[in-house]
Amino acid sequence: MAAHHGGGAASGMIGRVCHRDMTGMSQWRIILALFAMLLVSPATAQAQSGQRVTVTGEISDSWCLVSGLMFAKGTAHHQCAVWCALGGIPVSIRDAQGKLYLILRIGDDDRSVANPRVARLASHEVTVDGEVLERDGVTYLLVDQIADDKGVITMTHEEYGIQPFGN
Amino acid sequence: MRLAVSAAALSTALLAAGPAPAAEPWGIPGEKPMVLKGRVVDAICHLTGQCPRDCGAGRRQLGIAVAGGPFRLVAKGAVDFAGAVPDLIGYCGREIEADGLLIETPEIVLFFVQGVRSDASGPFAPADRFKAEWEARHGRAEEWWRADPEANRILAEDGPYGIRGLAPKPKP
Repeated sequence: MAAHHGGGAASGMIGRVCHRDMTGMSQWRIILALFAMLLVSPATAQAQSGQRVTVTGEISDSWCLVSGLMFAKGTAHHQCAVWCALGGIPVSIRDAQGKLYLILRIGDDDRSVANPRVARLASHEVTVDGEVLERDGVTYLLVDQIADDKGVITMTHEEYGIQPFGN
Repeated sequence: MRLAVSAAALSTALLAAGPAPAAEPWGIPGEKPMVLKGRVVDAICHLTGQCPRDCGAGRRQLGIAVAGGPFRLVAKGAVDFAGAVPDLIGYCGREIEADGLLIETPEIVLFFVQGVRSDASGPFAPADRFKAEWEARHGRAEEWWRADPEANRILAEDGPYGIRGLAPKPKP
């Protein structure tokens, strides 16, 4: 499990330092502690609190969804979605309105690169609960649990065959 | 005099923008060739502050935190059907330049990296480490995706459509 490098340790250090007299030495300690906090966790300052959401939609690789190079929907795209997920391309859920949620974690499993468990969900219609984090044009999703998995239900192969390359 | 000032301003602006991108356009809607300059960081770390020192050792999606700018998730490398984590993980926490295509759509913004370098005076290394690492594990293959044991296991079990028992019709 990932170690937490948040501001907790550094904050505690500052708290302890601030209870001392403000001698020249303690002022230096505060400056050093602040500097250490910046070095240890620059991301913490930018982190934002997430909203809890329930999302229903189809799981697919983000590349095909965005590039439009493959037909990224349903049975026609299942094989390609498995390949891309195992190739390490991030996986998203596309809801009925077309909004994309890029999955970074499912439960305690933070493996979002080439995770066979995630690849087995390719093209599945799922409902998930989790935390959403918006940043710089991307909606990220930290999934708590998969509440429902209907499997592959969007039948596109009769019209589009197997994308790409055919069978 | 005015011309000299304008030329100086233009030079400054070009230096700030970084080197010209050499990325190959793919004709994807919303694509913009560009060189991103910033620090390699894992996405969960950047968003939540949960930061393993090794950026997740290849398990987590990675991106580039542009200095004073946005965080760009790097979703794709130069190998077909493959991401770019193998190309970036060696630079965890370090400043790099990444040459590629920024894909901006109303739904999502992703970066498709084609070359990486940490030395601004050196050449970009192709973002194709996925294939070398895959072949080191599984042997040479013309198309890694068709030879991948895990992919073949999943597709054999669930079929190419993802529905057990539903198979393509035999070709006449």
